[in-house]
Amino acid sequence: MIASVWGMARNDLAVWLRSPAAIAAALLPALGMGILVAVLTNSVGQQPVALVTQSKGRLGARMGKILEADAEAYLIEEMTASEAERAIGDQRVAAIIVVPENFDEAVAGRKAVVDLYLNNVDIDLADDIRRSVARSIAEFDAPQLGLLGELHGPSEGILLPNPYRVAVAEHNMRATNVSFLQYQVIPIVVLVIVSIGLLGTALLTARDFERGTAKLMILSPAGRLPLVVGRSLGGSLITIALVAPLVGLGFVTHYIPYCADTSGAPRWVTILFSAPCAWTLSVPFWSHAVALIALLAAVTLTTVGMGILLGIAVRDEKLVTMIGLNAAVYLFFLGGGFTTVAFLPEWIQTASRFVPTSYAIEGLRQALFYPDLVGFGTDLAVLSACAVLSLALASGMLARAWRKG
Amino acid sequence: MIWTRAFFASATLELAHLKSNRAFVALTALAAVSFLVMVRLFGLTGSRAPMALINDDRGTYSQGLIDALLAAHHSFALKNMSEEDAAKALGAGRLVGIIKIPAGFSKNVERGKTIPIDVQIDNVNVDLTNDVQRALPAAILAFGHRYNFPGARVQVAEHDVLSHDTNYIPYLVVSALALDAMVIAGILGALATAREFERKTIKLLRLSPASTGAVLAGKLIVAAAVAGTALAITVLAIVLIYGVVPVAPWMALLTLGGCVAIFTCFGAWLGVQLQRTLAAVPLLFGLVMPLYVDSGALEPTRFDGEWIWRIAHLSPIYYAVGVLEWAYHGIRVTPEPVYVDLLALAAMALVSVALTLGRLRKRGAQ
Repeated sequence: MIASVWGMARNDLAVWLRSPAAIAAALLPALGMGILVAVLTNSVGQQPVALVTQSKGRLGARMGKILEADAEAYLIEEMTASEAERAIGDQRVAAIIVVPENFDEAVAGRKAVVDLYLNNVDIDLADDIRRSVARSIAEFDAPQLGLLGELHGPSEGILLPNPYRVAVAEHNMRATNVSFLQYQVIPIVVLVIVSIGLLGTALLTARDFERGTAKLMILSPAGRLPLVVGRSLGGSLITIALVAPLVGLGFVTHYIPYCADTSGAPRWVTILFSAPCAWTLSVPFWSHAVALIALLAAVTLTTVGMGILLGIAVRDEKLVTMIGLNAAVYLFFLGGGFTTVAFLPEWIQTASRFVPTSYAIEGLRQALFYPDLVGFGTDLAVLSACAVLSLALASGMLARAWRKG
Repeated sequence: MIWTRAFFASATLELAHLKSNRAFVALTALAAVSFLVMVRLFGLTGSRAPMALINDDRGTYSQGLIDALLAAHHSFALKNMSEEDAAKALGAGRLVGIIKIPAGFSKNVERGKTIPIDVQIDNVNVDLTNDVQRALPAAILAFGHRYNFPGARVQVAEHDVLSHDTNYIPYLVVSALALDAMVIAGILGALATAREFERKTIKLLRLSPASTGAVLAGKLIVAAAVAGTALAITVLAIVLIYGVVPVAPWMALLTLGGCVAIFTCFGAWLGVQLQRTLAAVPLLFGLVMPLYVDSGALEPTRFDGEWIWRIAHLSPIYYAVGVLEWAYHGIRVTPEPVYVDLLALAAMALVSVALTLGRLRKRGAQ
């Protein structure tokens, strides 16, 4: 039996290696998503803004400094009024902030105004700028409403009175923030596994039916279980071979030139070199590392099992490709790709409970970003159950399909 | 052979092929709808971070603060919770944070005291954390101005470039139309040409006296018509489900038609290059998402930086999104005028046709 299993797995590996189109079919969409995340990383958070400081007074200069200091919110550039007008027309900036000439006098009369000229092309972008400008304005009269004040003011027992009569004592749950890219790379890794495991194995199975080699298999003395197990092993091995370097690289990107955020290289160079494996995370504690490996293995087996099922059910390479790609898109998004499922409407959350990748993504995020492994047992149990069920079903369907010729 | 006869014969044959591949065509259309649904999912998490609200004060001012938080630029989806439930939900990653208004808040505010509100944030995602950190002072600023507390000296005077804000999902779904056009038309175009290589009929094509241009035109016109029909379903979904109606319907129609034509030609060229449907389909899937994001689909591309904007000019989706956002919402997302975007789209279609024709002739000669 072991010889049959290994023979089948080895054969599948050889077919994979001779099929660059199949490898491309499995990898390209996932890599596309990776690049997309990298580009998204560049576009979230900071918005290009022109600052026009017309005031020559001390308070006007202070207002300008507060705005300029919020580098986390804006990519700010000082301009004259006419330059700023040209820039907003050419879409080089999304907004113009004007500290008017009479700012100091107006502050003395408690009627000062900072003008915001906003390209409100969509609400997401416009709201980002509105929030940021409002924070800077609040900071003028209430310095503790700035980011530093939120983090190290009342939460550390230092409370300064302010005219708005409310301060923020912010307590962050973790010592380090996870970047948007790090957070989103996890679903990308799961997408790579889905693409290779599901699509790749489905293509191999469909190919056996299209070329008639399935009939030869049934005539062999190996039996159906070793063939299904062998195909699973082959699919799993090729998935592991392609995913392991990606995951491994993710942990060493700190040390690869031009990959880390802190490398000093231009942003686009960092994105180009690091996507889609820019985890730049520290190696986790051993219990979290074990959880990580277990989850990756379970999701690999699940997708391979699903791939065999799909291949047996459809038996046409073109259709398998289209169904596999569609399935990968749903498994990715409903599993939590680009989104946090818990923040979506109730009915989507319910639908997501039936999507195995949601357990994989949730479990992997717990293993990498959270101090406790909350829900890890459930995640692993669901994924393992899905793997066993899909392989058992595949074995049954394969026997039935071959019996019918 | 007369050009028109070859054209119609080729079109009829292509239609017969597509009829026998109904499932493939249906799955291609499904992929387009899938992208639309997924883009909507992405849009749903762009705002209104779920935050637990624990209000231990029942006074006027605490309600005023809650109103200010709710009005803070679509930042929070506040959920009234007990302290225990909130802590549990935060630990399980179902909340971005917890805002706690302490007992005696209103009384102390009335007396002119500054009261700290406790805010716990699950700072696992820096984007959401930033939104919350910026929205809290914005809400407090609005709260202070609402009650005219003495001492507040500066306000924001906002002057919007456009008369109204465009909601994020209507903005996203319109740009997704260009993405859909690329998926459907690109795949069907690729299928039309790659099939000739897969079935080895390219040699027969080359040997026949029929014009290659007529044969290609016949194939592509059918592929484009089928793609256009599938795209029409998506357009209808956008109108009926999201209520997004173009302000310039003819321009929208013209652009979508243009997109279908361009992407069918582009797909055909890809099919000739790769000679296998199985290679062309995933390549199109892989290309489509990065091209989509780098095309002004989420916000005007130039706001993402000059180099990203320059690269975007290579993508037809950039020009298509530029025209579509203008036609649907009356907004400009490219610095170039709309007619320049249209001209660029037309030029790209012509280049694709020329390249495909040239490639078909060259390959056929081998």
